[in-house]
Amino acid sequence: MPLVIFVDDSETALASTRMVTNSMPIEVKQYTEATVALAEIKAGMKPDLIITDLNMPVMNGLEFLKELRAVSSTSRTPTLMLTTETKVELKEQGKALGLTGWIVKPFNPAQLKQAITRVLRLPA
Amino acid sequence: MLILKSVDDLLEHIRDVQESVIELSTDSLMKMSNFIEKNHLEIDEEISTSLQYQDIITQQLNASIEAINSMRKSIDIFLHAQKSDENLANDSLKKLQVKFTATLKEAKEKRSRFSGKSAQNSSDSDEIEFF
Repeated sequence: MPLVIFVDDSETALASTRMVTNSMPIEVKQYTEATVALAEIKAGMKPDLIITDLNMPVMNGLEFLKELRAVSSTSRTPTLMLTTETKVELKEQGKALGLTGWIVKPFNPAQLKQAITRVLRLPA
Repeated sequence: MLILKSVDDLLEHIRDVQESVIELSTDSLMKMSNFIEKNHLEIDEEISTSLQYQDIITQQLNASIEAINSMRKSIDIFLHAQKSDENLANDSLKKLQVKFTATLKEAKEKRSRFSGKSAQNSSDSDEIEFF
């Protein structure tokens, strides 16, 4: 099964995404700190899709994305930003770093499922 | 400058209340989501959105806590400057006002930025933007 990792400093946000993805044919790993997810990626974890929050302490979503692009195994891994942030300049920064898409919270469960299905090319 | 000390005390109180609200709302939502997951209940769009509002509330409150901390720091700097040289007090007061104005502006901007979809008035179709 494809591996999807979620990174969000909010436990409640992770719970919301878990409730939506638990019926999908994917393996899900969740992290409250981008640094921990990054360390596991550097240690060999190969996610098929990364979904990350933007505003997080220690390492924010864009810093995380920049680090991901510097690791050969995730230099081209599809990555979605799932955030309450709506600032256009930040979207542009993400786009320049090869971000796949931007999802504004609160997300629609059906559309989050569709987005994951589309990016991973899962059977609809 | 007793008035500023009172303002500082009030800001500290507001910050403490906001931190308690964040803690309580997180605890409340985690209990609800644990119940939903434990009982394998399927959530619909409305419930999912309601659960996600907690995250937005937390971010909004954290942004205003940041503004409060910044204002309290500015008050502290002013009070120290005023103690060391009363002649500098007027100049320091002007600087304090400039800092307050800038902090308020930033806090208002964050309120708009961190409101998520609720502030955008957007339709479902533009919820997810692919690049």
